Amino acid sequence: MLWIENIHLALGAIWANKLRSLLTMLGIIIGISSVIAITSIGASAKGAVSDEFESFGKAYMYLMVDYNMLAEQGSDSEADAEDLFSKEDVDALKERFSEDILYAVPFVNRNLSARVGRTKAEISCTGVDDNFESYNKTINVIYGRMINESDVKGGRDRIVIDNKCALKLFGREDAVGELVPVTLDNESRDFAVVGVIALEEGLSSQITAAIGIDSYTGYVPYTSLLSGNEVASFIEIYGNPDKDVKAQGAAYAKYIARVKDKSEDFYIHESAEGQQNVINQVLGVLSIAIGAIAAISLLVGGIGIMNIMLVSVTERTREIGIRKSLGARTHDILSQFLIEAVILSVIGGIIGTILGIGIAALGMSLANVDVVIQPLIILLAVVFSAGVGLFFGLFPARRAAKLDPIEALRYE
Amino acid sequence: MIEVIKMENISKIYANGPTEVRALDKVSLTIGKGEFVAIMGASGSGKSTLMNLIGCLDRATEGEYFLEGIDIKEKSDDELSYVRNQKIGFVFQSFNLVARTSAIKNVELPMIYAKKGRQDRNDRARLLLENVGLADRGHHVPSELSGGQKQRVAIARALANNPSIILADEPTGNLDSKSSMEIMEIFERLNRQEGTTVIVVTHEPDIAAFASRVLTFRDGKVILDHKPTLKKSKSLAYKKRGEADAVD
Repeated sequence: MLWIENIHLALGAIWANKLRSLLTMLGIIIGISSVIAITSIGASAKGAVSDEFESFGKAYMYLMVDYNMLAEQGSDSEADAEDLFSKEDVDALKERFSEDILYAVPFVNRNLSARVGRTKAEISCTGVDDNFESYNKTINVIYGRMINESDVKGGRDRIVIDNKCALKLFGREDAVGELVPVTLDNESRDFAVVGVIALEEGLSSQITAAIGIDSYTGYVPYTSLLSGNEVASFIEIYGNPDKDVKAQGAAYAKYIARVKDKSEDFYIHESAEGQQNVINQVLGVLSIAIGAIAAISLLVGGIGIMNIMLVSVTERTREIGIRKSLGARTHDILSQFLIEAVILSVIGGIIGTILGIGIAALGMSLANVDVVIQPLIILLAVVFSAGVGLFFGLFPARRAAKLDPIEALRYE
Repeated sequence: MIEVIKMENISKIYANGPTEVRALDKVSLTIGKGEFVAIMGASGSGKSTLMNLIGCLDRATEGEYFLEGIDIKEKSDDELSYVRNQKIGFVFQSFNLVARTSAIKNVELPMIYAKKGRQDRNDRARLLLENVGLADRGHHVPSELSGGQKQRVAIARALANNPSIILADEPTGNLDSKSSMEIMEIFERLNRQEGTTVIVVTHEPDIAAFASRVLTFRDGKVILDHKPTLKKSKSLAYKKRGEADAVD
């Protein structure tokens, strides 16, 4: 019963000093909002990154030279051409693991400078094998088809471009049958458009747009970019999603090392899973940094609350005296001021939570990513701010509770 | 006679550096149920100290004090809070209403600390305000009330938990003569009709005239225990004449 009275009293006192209360809450607001913002942004980014990786599939990976190991071995951290991957290497790998490897290509990505009439465009072209669209879920063919078996076998100059590229070069999206004249290695080639895809608005397309790269996406037969004796730095693989990805990657890397007559650990594999771990690490470091800022501002906020509660106790010395003369016990006064401190900081915590979510939502909407709100973190923030109020309110409340009623009544 | 207050050889000594001040010096007195007592004396005579002791706001240095048979010396601070809450109704010179809090809420305060239910509190607060003629002022805050009205709210508050005694410290000190008389008439009515024990500290003889017994203090001792010197009928005229003089 006294609780309800004390909550009423506290709200009344806070409302009576609106500006002062708000300024007092500022530290808590900043602390809580930064924690909420960073955790929400982190969770949202993780969610978006997971979505992105899911479009590649669980068993997506690539093999590469262990450059860290090369660097440790000293002098020359560059890999030699003979260390890299030729079509034959990939074919050997595919043959050896024909049951598990669904798709494997030497990974080639080149920027083609296209020019149709007076219109220029940079197309970021990835070499693919046939059936690429079966494994990469982002591919959405809207006109024509993807690169097929005969394109790859013949190493033909065929290209699939995105709809924006088509619009830019040919003034319409359905550009199937058109020729894209490009310059590649100072050589002029004409790529025939066999299909047009619609680009999905993902995190990576947002990032490239944000950085201001006006780049288009294209797919060509990998054989058209990788002639005879040329090599690629990576092997792109879609493995068996029903088997352990790590074990598969390790087996493939080991086999490639044997094929290329290298030591067992010369090649490593990277998977979506591994990439996510890296991102999690980055977010972890960021969270610790923001967490430190939040901790400091919560500490300062707590001290602010203590300070204002001391002022409040002094201002209301006479009221405390009156209450004591009317029968308030020590803990009645204690709880009155403690509840006021807790409510003050909890209101700060709630404002901070709303602000933090707002910041996260704003940031995520700029990146076109769904904001993830974690109810547990919000609960934790409110409970924690209550704890701050309790801790820093205790000293002023004790001071109030211990006042001598006669002295307090005499206080002017 | 039922003894409400019984003090035996009560002393209150304040240590003031090397010197000690005897605010009360071996005071013994008994006040019975239903008495209307005025305590008079110049400032520094010890009457305020006595009020604090009677009101259980302070403890005596020496001596025994029984309030309705309760040995105050034995009680903890929180138990004294309970004694104040249940047995004593304070009325102060400066009203001491809680600011920015409605009259009704002020009257409810002692009942809140007595853990009385919300509805009971509200009903009783309304009744008490009605009894002091403020039925229509319940939702006003102290700053919207006149001095006399504030003091009537304070009296209503003092009566909230049906105390054994009303302890009024210079209750008319901040009031004009008309309000003073109204306040004193309320005390008189409570004393006559309800049988409430009323103790009023004052230095004005015309206020003391309302009492049936006057205790005069000097240097921490009771020097006179007597009937009021002024007749009440004359006191009004005296007070009014005094004010007229002051205007000149």
